This record gives sequence, structure tokens and C-alpha cells, in this order.
Amino acid sequence: MVRTKLICLAGALALSAAMPAFAQDADTSDKNVALSNNYAGNSWRQAMIKSWQEATAKAVEDGVVASADANTTAENSATEQAAQLQNMILQGYDAIVLNAASPTALNGAVKEACDAGITVVSFDATVTEECAWRIAVDFKKMGVDQIDYLAERYPDGGPLLEIRGLPGTSVDEQIHAGILEGIEKHPQFEIAREVQGDWTQTVAQKSVASVLPSLPDVVGVVTQGGDGYGAARAFEAAGREVPTIIMGNRSDELQWWKEQKDENGYETFSQSIAPGVSTLGFWVAQQILAGADVPKDLQVPTLRIDQDGLDQGLEMTPEGGVTNKEYTREEAQELISSAK
Amino acid sequence: MTTKRSAAGLAGLARSAPWLFSFVGALVIFAVTLAANNWSGAGQIITAALSFGAFYAIVGIGQMFVITTGPGNIDLSVPATIALAGAIAMTTMGGSDAMILPGLAAAIAAGFLIGSFNYLLIWLLRIPPIIATLSSSFIVQSLAIVYGRGLRIAPPPFLAEIATGRVLGVPILAIVTILLAVVMAVVLHRSVYGRSVTAIGQNINAADLAGVRVGTMRFATYALSACFAAFCGVMLAAFSGGASLNMGEEYLLASIAVVVIGGTSVAGGFSNVSGIWGAALFLYLLITMLNTLGVGAGLRQIFTGVIIVAVITLAGGRKKGRG
Repeated sequence: MVRTKLICLAGALALSAAMPAFAQDADTSDKNVALSNNYAGNSWRQAMIKSWQEATAKAVEDGVVASADANTTAENSATEQAAQLQNMILQGYDAIVLNAASPTALNGAVKEACDAGITVVSFDATVTEECAWRIAVDFKKMGVDQIDYLAERYPDGGPLLEIRGLPGTSVDEQIHAGILEGIEKHPQFEIAREVQGDWTQTVAQKSVASVLPSLPDVVGVVTQGGDGYGAARAFEAAGREVPTIIMGNRSDELQWWKEQKDENGYETFSQSIAPGVSTLGFWVAQQILAGADVPKDLQVPTLRIDQDGLDQGLEMTPEGGVTNKEYTREEAQELISSAK
Repeated sequence: MTTKRSAAGLAGLARSAPWLFSFVGALVIFAVTLAANNWSGAGQIITAALSFGAFYAIVGIGQMFVITTGPGNIDLSVPATIALAGAIAMTTMGGSDAMILPGLAAAIAAGFLIGSFNYLLIWLLRIPPIIATLSSSFIVQSLAIVYGRGLRIAPPPFLAEIATGRVLGVPILAIVTILLAVVMAVVLHRSVYGRSVTAIGQNINAADLAGVRVGTMRFATYALSACFAAFCGVMLAAFSGGASLNMGEEYLLASIAVVVIGGTSVAGGFSNVSGIWGAALFLYLLITMLNTLGVGAGLRQIFTGVIIVAVITLAGGRKKGRG
């Protein structure tokens, strides 16, 4: 009898000793989380919302949180999203996971939310307001990596064609800056021409077709994602040999790559951010609500597909979509501890 | 003295041949591009200009009829219609040559419904066209998202061949679109419908009193524009290997730009079809020239704006002559 009591006591002691380690697993089952999203008009954002819905539906079912609603504004406008945030404050959510229309224009609304005791986690398009967490993409690295890869493939270097994104956006500026940094590191490369692709296959196809008559033979095409397949089609239509085009994880890009690989051993690599990064935002918010100590700035991992991983990459890519992956609570915890 | 006379001559030319300026502009830009490219690649540039220009021309012709019906008339639902029609066509065809005609019919029918809905809003609720077509474009775009979900189905091989293939170096799509332009020019200038549209644009009350069935004609015009946008969506999807949600985005401003650069009066009642082809070639060659010269992203936008304004100013002699 006494012995059982002792064991119980020892068990209780062990449990209490272990408690601090489990602090981030504190009960969040009564917490309400909301997704505030500014745009849904392309396949990446569609997949992002779908991933959120699937992952959070399971989390609600498992009793991890009470609710996790997804909200999207009709137009890609900061004012509308600010109004949406204000509504969420009134509705009394515990955490808001935010893909922002503007890095600065929402700061006022975000501050109001923080002051109301709401945890705000911004991801992908982050906000600069200090009270919010940021899960940012290192777009510059995405530029540098492309040149690093090409330097390995073509040690002698050569001229490149650069496809830019939507002019005036910070993403476009950062990837471009990364590419320039890569070229500084590997000066045997030079940008022969740059054209505007708007991250859209049809626009990229037209721009590349228009530059081809005056373009010298290039060794590679550096891209920003969503433009690689259009570039490939333009080269094919002009009857020119297709150079090494860096892809952006879109299904049409990967399918084309696969066809070429089977036919003539075409080699390249592909990279992008998985739309499921919204679920990483969800788990980070859950961890904060559970009391974990989370640094304000986290880095989204890039989803990279190399020659050997192409088949697996294609499996992870829905028809017409972008290569996707839903993040787990464990992966979020790993990301948090690696950032500390 | 000479400048005065040449200015008067220019204005006269703008009145008698408003389409001329877009072709002259296209030629000048083509020459600059060739010079910058050491006079090589002409054939390749022309071929590309014809195939990409065809898309501008298709949506431009539909938009032109709408703009011709007078001030305030415009169709902003073009990009959404392109997205929805492209998705419907590719899904219906399912990559099979036998289903090309049903797929095309389904897309055009969707276009007709969108156009009818546009006019319903304008006529029944008395909403200005700019608001009516903008709001319907939200609905249509949402339908395209729900329907398509970013689904990318490859076009049937025969349709892809029409969209990308060439006969004697001339893109097949360009030949089809030139024929379409000829037919629509006859419709505009010779048919009862075309003349009614012009009459409505010049003075809607006078046209009404003269016995033109104003409502029916305006309805037909909005339906026509949406059908052309739908056709453009089908061909664009066939051309680029499948439909995507954002493939129509650039055609909102482009469809209006080719109409205006082509010498059609923004105030309505005065238009021509051939200028649209000139303007379509002009717009594409402009991109080619800036890319050939290696102009950076920021400067490119400035150049595009300045050059378009210059051509419109030159072609705009007509407006002064009108007062």
C-alpha cells in the first residue's frame, strides 16, 4: 500500500519535472484562430487556402483548437483587409494568421489586434509591425541559389536570360537582387537581357518570344516561378535549343521537365514556397498560444526539387497546381527551436 | 506656314484614314528594332508579332463595337470571360480532337451568357456599363476559380496546331483572325447592325427616333464582345498548353488600348476594324523593341506610356475636326 503510494508520488514528481518541457503543449482547445488572406485569384493562393482548411479541420477535430476560420478579401486591397482585421478583433479571436496585402499599410490594424491581446502571425507577405510574428521567405536566397546551381553546371559561365516578376513588387526586387549577388560571386555569368514575365506563363511566353530574335545563345534562364514553362514554349516555338531553365514547382513546369528528362536527359532544378506554408503559420500561432517562447522572425524553408527528386516532386504536385506540403506541429516546433 | 499646312494635312489624314497611324507606328517601331538588331531576325519578329497580335485583335474587335456605341460604354469583364471560357473549353474538350467543336460551342455559349448578363445589369438596373461589367467580372472570375481550381488540361492536338502552327511561315491563328477582321469590317460598315451601332454612338436619341432598335442593338453588342473574349480565351488556352486563372489579366487594358490606338473614337460613333490589327502589331512590336534595346523594367513602363500617348495624340486630329 505504502509502496503504491510512493510510486504514485514518484510518478507525479516525474510528471511535474517534465512539465516545463511540455509547456508548448499546454491546452489550446478553447482557442479560436483565424486566417486573414488578401487574395485568392491564382492557383498558389487556392492551394494555400485548401491546405489551411484541411490541416485545421483535422486540428479542430483532434481538439487542438476550437476553430480556425479562413477569410479572404474580395480584392487585393490593404484597406479592405484592415477592415477585415478590425472585424476579427471585434469577433474576439485569440490568434490571427495573416498573409498581408501590404508590409506597412496594415500596421495600424495589426497594432490594434496586438493591443487587444491577439497573437498575430504573418507569413509569406509579412508585416513590419513589431508586435507581430513574421514567417518570411528569403527571396534573395532564391536568386543566389539559381546562379550557384548554374555555376556548378557551367563552370565556364556564359550569358543568361533573366525573367522578372511583377514590376514594383518587393518580391521581384529581392529575387533580382539575389541574382545580381550570385553573379558578383560568379562573375563568369552575365545577364544578356531581362524581360518581364509577371509570374504568368502566358506573359513570360510572349516576352521571351519577343526577345528571342535578338538574343545571343544563353546557357541558362533565371526565373521567379510561374514563368519557366512559358519560356520553354517560346524557345521551342522559335526552333531554338532550350537552355537550362530554372523552374518554379508549377505542375506544367515539372511535367515539361519530366518529358524532356525522359527524352533527352534535360537537367535543371526547381524551387518555390509550398502553399502549405499557411499551415506552418497555423502551428506557430498555436505554439505561441500554448505559451512557447517563439522568436519574432522565422524563415520559411524553400521546397527544392532536384533531378533525382523529380518523380517524388511530381507526386507532391496537384494537377494544375504548385508542389505542396502541409506542415506538422513537430515541424513548426523544429523551426522555432532552430531559430532560437 | 509649312508646319501649319502639314498639321492641317495630318488632321485631314486622321479623319480620312484613322487606321493609318497605328500601322505607321508599328512600322517605325519595327524599323528601330531591326536597326538595333543589325537588320536580322525580321521574319521571326513578324511571325511572332502576327501570332501574339492575333489575341489582342480578337478581344479588340469585340471591345471596339462596345466603345462605338457611345460614351461610357466599355466592357471590363474581358479578362474574367477569357479565364472562364478557357477553362470550360479545355474541360469540355478533355484533350480529344472529336470534342473541339462542342468545347468551342460551350465556351462561346458561356461568353454569350456573360454578355447577356452584362446588358441585363445595364438595362434592368440602370447601372453604368463600367460598374456593371466590373461587378459581373468579379462573379465570373469567382466562377472560373470554383470551376477551374487551377486545373490545367492540355488542349486537343488539332486545336493546339491551329493556335501555334504556321502555313508558309504565317501563323494559322493570324490568318483566321485576319479573316475574322475582314468579316467584322463588312459587318461594321455595311450591315444594318453595324450602321445601327455607329448611329447609336453618334446620337442615341436621334438613332432611336430614326427607328433603330437601340436596346436590341446594345444587347447584341455586349453579347458580341463577350463571345469574342470567350473565343480569345479558348485560343489562348490552346496556344499556351492549357487554361490558367490569370491568363486574361493583361487583356483588360490591352483590349481598350488597341481600340484607341487603332483610331476609334473613345467618344463613340466613329470606328474602324483595320486599325485594330495595326494597333495589335504596334503593341507587340513595342514589347519587342524595348526587349531588344534591353530597357530595364522601370524605364520600360515609362516608354510604353509615352509612346502610346504619342500615337494617340497624332491619331487624335479627328476630335478637333469634330467640334
